[in-house]
Amino acid sequence: MSFSISSDVDAQKVATITLAGELDSLSSREFQSAIEHVAAENPKELVLRVEDLSFMSSAGLRVLIFSKQKMGTNLPIFMVKPQSAIVDTLEKTGLQHSVNIVDEYPA
Amino acid sequence: MESKTFPGTLDSLDLIRQHVKELSQQAGLDKKSTYNLMLAADEIATNIILYGYEQAGQTGSIDVLSEIADNQLKVVFEDEAKPFDPTARDLPTEDDFNKPLEERTIGGMGIFLTINGVDKFSYEYANNRNRNIFIMNVDHVHP
Repeated sequence: MSFSISSDVDAQKVATITLAGELDSLSSREFQSAIEHVAAENPKELVLRVEDLSFMSSAGLRVLIFSKQKMGTNLPIFMVKPQSAIVDTLEKTGLQHSVNIVDEYPA
Repeated sequence: MESKTFPGTLDSLDLIRQHVKELSQQAGLDKKSTYNLMLAADEIATNIILYGYEQAGQTGSIDVLSEIADNQLKVVFEDEAKPFDPTARDLPTEDDFNKPLEERTIGGMGIFLTINGVDKFSYEYANNRNRNIFIMNVDHVHP
């Protein structure tokens, strides 16, 4: 299955990245580039729209950690509607404490 | 055993996952076990490709052998990179996972997810080949 990604930072400095398909070691390079791209605008929040993301390996987890390290600990990260298998991976690795899993954004 | 060969490049990850998904479906694994095996396969294949081949400046392939018997799906990845035993490395612990993100080390998560996601994972080195072996029990009932 193919991977697609888009990103933008709005006037309120909310960075939104929409990910769809399968996030593996190959596609995580595009995810990392998108993070670097939005980080340059010093966003105050990072919103990841992942409803259509069907697979995420540890390469995706590493980019999540990278984004926190790159943009600062205090940057809130919202993950909108992750699929249950992905929530499972976040929980197994303790990452659910570092991201806010939400059904919609803004709430 | 059935066998299928994939080039040892990151482009193959998608195809390897698809192949493992088909095998899981043939074996009758449920959705969650299928995902966990696909994840484990992806993590091990990534290590073989990035560290076994690319970092060593070597090219090679990954043979995916499979067998469904006795209510088990057995999948074996064989590669000709230098010996690497994923089970020999230190896995992250509960303590690591409770650390704030910015203090965490990022190694070992893939192997952790692999071992955690399959019923049995083992490694052997034979005939100059790494053999990573995944076993899933078919009669799994998840609550």
